[in-house]
Amino acid sequence: MTDFSFLTDDKLVEALLMEVAGLLRGLIDRDEGGSIDLRGLPLSPSCIETLDRCLGQGEISVVLDAAGRSEIRETSLPGVWWTKHADGAGRVIALLIEVAVTPAILRADLADMKRGLDRMPALLAKTAGRTS
Amino acid sequence: MESAETLGEVLGRRGFGRRSLLKFAIAMTSSLALPPALAPVMAANLAKAKRRSVIWLSFQECTGCLETLLRSSSPSIEALIFDFVSLDYQESLMAAAGADAERTLREAVAANKGEYLLAIDGSIPVKDGGVYSMTGGRSNLGMLSEIAADAKAVLAIGTCAAYGGIPKAYPNPTGAAGVEDLISGKPIVNIPGCPPVPEVLSGVLVHFISFGHLPELDDRKRPLAYFGTTIHDQCYRRPFYDQGKFAKSFDDEGARQGWCLFELGCKGPVTHNACASLKWNGGTSFPIESGHGCIGCSEPDFWDAGSFYTSLAGGSSAGWRNTGIALGVGVAGGLAAALSGRRKST
Repeated sequence: MTDFSFLTDDKLVEALLMEVAGLLRGLIDRDEGGSIDLRGLPLSPSCIETLDRCLGQGEISVVLDAAGRSEIRETSLPGVWWTKHADGAGRVIALLIEVAVTPAILRADLADMKRGLDRMPALLAKTAGRTS
Repeated sequence: MESAETLGEVLGRRGFGRRSLLKFAIAMTSSLALPPALAPVMAANLAKAKRRSVIWLSFQECTGCLETLLRSSSPSIEALIFDFVSLDYQESLMAAAGADAERTLREAVAANKGEYLLAIDGSIPVKDGGVYSMTGGRSNLGMLSEIAADAKAVLAIGTCAAYGGIPKAYPNPTGAAGVEDLISGKPIVNIPGCPPVPEVLSGVLVHFISFGHLPELDDRKRPLAYFGTTIHDQCYRRPFYDQGKFAKSFDDEGARQGWCLFELGCKGPVTHNACASLKWNGGTSFPIESGHGCIGCSEPDFWDAGSFYTSLAGGSSAGWRNTGIALGVGVAGGLAAALSGRRKST
């Protein structure tokens, strides 16, 4: 039986902030960031709220609509992102702290871009039809 | 049958971009307790993968396992799992029947020899030559032996397929057994539960398709990521257990305060499963959250392990006794009222 009762919210938040600091140092020094899977840790809702409050709000907030809604926002620490992914029913399926210049999911994918380019002739023809 | 298209192409054609796939992979790595850094690798591997043939045989079962897995599909992201597999044989779902169904099975096995995943739900009766459950004149035991021989791996879905389940309960009239008691020399994954948590099957399939091998298993062949801890370890009522606060009946103040259900027979401390973290019905809740103790349905021989209302410490549940007394009072009261009414009418 695993007993996590010795871990208070404050101690967990402190430990997680130290891990964030280590990841941020890695991103700055070696261009190696990382992620912390908050759902994989024995965190109470209040602990997650405290951590969220500690990290604060930065300059960027993004809503992604891909197989459900995702909210990605930069915290008050540049390069540290608070990411919440939900499925089509609104159920949270992943909650992460990502340490990266830009979260990978925001970057456009090459195959998707090619599919977009393939659609361009039809789009141009439609536009030309409107303007002629 | 195996499609020539990659999953990335299939999903792209259906309007799912790579962001959806990456998001799915992020959720799956989290679910499988893999490092988040593996999510892009998983997404890239899934995009390049071909659909994997799955042959599903149902034996001595109630169809509850299949029902729960089907119910998991909409509208959650797990719906994507159905793009990752080609379910080539499943008697309850396929249109074909009789000789056509038999031919479909033979063709699926021949076309995917050595590569298909074999999913089993239900236990296998072995007593009297296995006559107690037959399909097309063949015993379940004969079909399992034949189809498992050319499978890449066998997934025992539900407690019946994993350990024999309710059909194996005393006195086990059909000689019911689980897959691992009968098959050797094949990778076997047990996904127990009555029914099993659907997301666990999704996780196992995605791990196999994206990395080419099964996830890490425990000593009972269960995926460690989902069965590595007990319900009790993850239970939101666990702090009350640590504080010694227990509900004594199903309707006392402790029950209303959400205290631990240990004394009411909860089997959470000895039951390994992911109900408390993944939950049921789209993440709505799980039995303990609904006020009833865990019955330990994902453990071997759970049906023969004593009353659901006897505590693991051995005491019979005061809550159940009280409920019994209440029921007795209710019945007696009802009977008295009925007799009184009858006297009045006569």
